[in-house]
Amino acid sequence: MEVAARLIGEHAQARGKAKVQPNGEAIVLTGISKTFTGRSGTVVALEDVNLTIYEGEFLCIVGPSGCGKTTLLRILAGLEKPTSGRVEIRVREPGKPVNSMVFQEQSIFPWYTVKENVAYGLAMRGVPRARREEIAEHYLKITGLSKFANAYPHQLSGGMKQRVSVARAFANDPSILLMDEPFGSLDEQTRVILQQELLRIWEGTRKTAVFITHSIDEALGLGDRVLVMTARPGRVKAILEVDLPRPRDLTLIRSRPRFLELFDTIWFYLREEVMKAKAGEIQS
Amino acid sequence: MRAEAKIISFFSPLLLLVLWEVLARAGLVDIRIFSCPSRIIETFLPVLFSGELLYHTWVSVRRIILGFLAGAIPGVLLGLSMGLFPLVRAALEPMVAITFPIPKLAVMPMIILVFGLGEASKVFTVAIGVFYLVLVNTVAGVLSIDRIYLDVAKNFGASRWNFYRTVALPGALPMIFAGLKLGMGTALILIVAAELTAAQAGLGDWIWRAYDMFDIERMFTSLIMLTVLGYLFANALDLLERWVIPWKSPHA
Repeated sequence: MEVAARLIGEHAQARGKAKVQPNGEAIVLTGISKTFTGRSGTVVALEDVNLTIYEGEFLCIVGPSGCGKTTLLRILAGLEKPTSGRVEIRVREPGKPVNSMVFQEQSIFPWYTVKENVAYGLAMRGVPRARREEIAEHYLKITGLSKFANAYPHQLSGGMKQRVSVARAFANDPSILLMDEPFGSLDEQTRVILQQELLRIWEGTRKTAVFITHSIDEALGLGDRVLVMTARPGRVKAILEVDLPRPRDLTLIRSRPRFLELFDTIWFYLREEVMKAKAGEIQS
Repeated sequence: MRAEAKIISFFSPLLLLVLWEVLARAGLVDIRIFSCPSRIIETFLPVLFSGELLYHTWVSVRRIILGFLAGAIPGVLLGLSMGLFPLVRAALEPMVAITFPIPKLAVMPMIILVFGLGEASKVFTVAIGVFYLVLVNTVAGVLSIDRIYLDVAKNFGASRWNFYRTVALPGALPMIFAGLKLGMGTALILIVAAELTAAQAGLGDWIWRAYDMFDIERMFTSLIMLTVLGYLFANALDLLERWVIPWKSPHA
């Protein structure tokens, strides 16, 4: 059973690679491992992760809780150094920041207005005030936040705050967008609306994007490829190509036979790892 | 209900004053020690309009403001560095922890020995009290900043200077203001105490001289001014806070 799964996994990986390759490589990870040493001992978060992210693709990463998804993203962002292995940023666009991150938790600055938050990256890069206001206003408009430009975060709902966080990352115009379960804490209705908006904005820019989620549904709706991670220590279990047409409508796409097929395949890989993660939890 | 509460809050102090007056006139309160509102007003208005009381108030206010600034500014700067740099914190924390609980009044004789009987010793006494409260609160303020904001600043390429300007200072401001407000209360206590012992002017000195002459009403006029000062300073800090921290949620 496990051999079969691995075979399908490798097959899927090969197929995914072949299809997206023409776009060129954005990031290449080779043999990435990450070990955390704490008071209660050593935890291996990631083990020998090999992964190529292609320019212009939307890569979704799913995996059981605690599998090191966030750690992997933080390594991609440069917020964390791998214990071993190599991170090669191949994409170099002069004048652009390499990456901008949309964090999982509430991360917009409470002391700045919505507009100042959206313009934060630009301000840090020394973009002149007039220009950054112009850019910020553009992104406020496409995220539907124009009315709240001068509001402070405490006046916004959770969904609005995540919208600001997404706008902040897009406004910074990075080569690579990194998103760590940005809609994980939102209610179902808000989440669907924001997913659809993200799709619309992303399909307009086609920026390289890495998106972490624990929802297969979300991964399939948004991604060009879906990477399934193993339970801790996190490794690449399988990569699947999501051959669903774009632009996508998230409500319609769910009823497509291909969507259901892919859903089943991913769940097949994921279930095993979720069981392992649960067993580990009970042990420890 | 709210209107009722407001009416009660407005009349309860007035009622107390009336009660005081009535009891004094009935001979149930010893006016030689406690005086009574009518006599106090009789003394208060002339010294107020002659400018005599205002002069002494100004002397105290000047000492409070100078001492407050001399304590708060180093308190914020040192507090930010202690909050930001673990090594600075490790080096200074023991000294702060040991000297913070010492009542500042206990070192007043020492301060007078060093700074003499002039203005400097009064200003320094206020400064040292304000300094500790602002320092301790600023450190706590920086340490309470959610780590996520540091990650955001790093991810968006903030320089070292921008890191302090856009994260550390604004993040610590609510706590800094808590320290400033505590410091203001302490400043009033300390200035009166400093002026009671060794001063040529000021509201504390005024109380001491009135006591020497057993002029109870005159003592009360100084208390009235101190009440007004406390109220004005607290409101000034509230205003400043609202202006400097416009993002503060009214519920937080």
